[in-house]
Amino acid sequence: MSYPLLALAGVAIALLGFVVFTWRGLRRSLTVSSRHYVLAIGLTVLVLFVLTAIFDNIMIAAELFHYSPEHLHGVSIGLAPIEDFSYPLAGALLLPAMWIALQRGSEERRKDFLTLIVASRPVSWINTAFPFGAAYLLVAREIDWVWLLGVIYFLIPYNFAMYGINDVFDYASDFANPRKGGIEGALLAPRLHRPTLWIAAWSNVPFLLILAAAGGPSAWIALAISAFAVVAYSAAGLRFKERPFLDSITSSTHFVSPAVVGLILAGAQFGSSLILLLLAFFLWGMAAHAFGAIQDINPDREADIHSIATAIGAKATTRLALVLWTAAGILMLFVAWPGLLAAIITVPYLLNCAPYWSVSDENSASTNKAWRRFIALNYFSGFLVTLLLIVEWNQV
Amino acid sequence: MTGYLYLLLLLGGIGCMLLLDRRFALFFWHDPAVATLITVVGTVLFLLWDIAGISAGVFLRGESSFASGVILAPEMPLEEPIFLVFLVLCTMVIFTGSLKLLAHASPSDLRVVSKR
Repeated sequence: MSYPLLALAGVAIALLGFVVFTWRGLRRSLTVSSRHYVLAIGLTVLVLFVLTAIFDNIMIAAELFHYSPEHLHGVSIGLAPIEDFSYPLAGALLLPAMWIALQRGSEERRKDFLTLIVASRPVSWINTAFPFGAAYLLVAREIDWVWLLGVIYFLIPYNFAMYGINDVFDYASDFANPRKGGIEGALLAPRLHRPTLWIAAWSNVPFLLILAAAGGPSAWIALAISAFAVVAYSAAGLRFKERPFLDSITSSTHFVSPAVVGLILAGAQFGSSLILLLLAFFLWGMAAHAFGAIQDINPDREADIHSIATAIGAKATTRLALVLWTAAGILMLFVAWPGLLAAIITVPYLLNCAPYWSVSDENSASTNKAWRRFIALNYFSGFLVTLLLIVEWNQV
Repeated sequence: MTGYLYLLLLLGGIGCMLLLDRRFALFFWHDPAVATLITVVGTVLFLLWDIAGISAGVFLRGESSFASGVILAPEMPLEEPIFLVFLVLCTMVIFTGSLKLLAHASPSDLRVVSKR
């Protein structure tokens, strides 16, 4: 296909969208006159054309990109082929029309948007994107579209689905728990439940399909397990979070599976060091979940919700977490250099948790203090792990 | 470090657009949900257009010393999706800004339902 044809096709599609959205939008909008709308689009086209004429020339002169000459029509403004103006033209037609058709801009919508962002736990976004990004990069040793797509997916849509689904199905119990209003999640009003589930589905399925297409059957299995763990943790009917022990296993899967997906998509060889490392990460994740569950023992029991901590009590859960963290550290000692240095990372977690060795169920809420320190510790550990990964990177 | 000049300029451009957006409550600061949707849909459509051009053999990546050299796919540098995000933001800030200016210049033209 030649560039003139490609440019015309793009503008034609944009024009179609422009007509549909404008027809819908102007009928609906009470605050924009159709004269202003047309004038504003005209101004946008004009400004973008001037900017394109200037910057496209600069960008082509800087050799950022060029065109296969036999595909061009031949008319150009300086160095910029006339077809390049199809991009700003199409954008200035389609995007403002979508805006007019969809925007409402009320204070309530701005608040709802922030509520949904907070519901996806932005402080935890990095915890799933980092395992994927680091694992993929270390094996593939280059950034490509699969890396970028995976990092974006495990940064936002994945967390939105995981915590959004959780908050929708947890609404009743969250309501009785004042701790859920701050950094650890927002109360999701019932009117936001349907939008949350829709956004979760629409923001996850395309990424999952494209990532699956980038890999083979083993990637499909890893992605399926990862997505299943996200849904099964809290969705009605499955509710793995209320099944003692399965809750910690599923929660750990949430953080280990992005790394496994990254390794598989990058084509890693699963040697003994790598398997030990993943196992240690998994035990670390189980310990983290179990310890996090202790602070909720009393509200959970009042609401008749089961967890690993309500099943075996605060004291036993604390000790189990300490054992799991210790085991993770011991496993890391058998990982090849420099991975074995990561064994040290478990020490701050043990020190943070150890004072609660004999915590009673009545005082279980006091572990929230250590839980907050735990969240801060993760950033510190992430920093140490990054240093180790750089050492590993330079070693090969 | 000139290899990251283009990338840094793009990110700087995006930053400037967001500052204008914030100052005049134009796009994300007017309706963040719809602004997110338009940014995602616009960027994806532009990317598909790029991919069509690349597979047709029209678009070729340059060997610029101002580009990072990170390649996402054949003929698709890391900077391209970021440029497209910038293009969407720039388009929408100019459009919504123009609407505001026009409304400011001739408020009588507004079809606002009067509050009685």
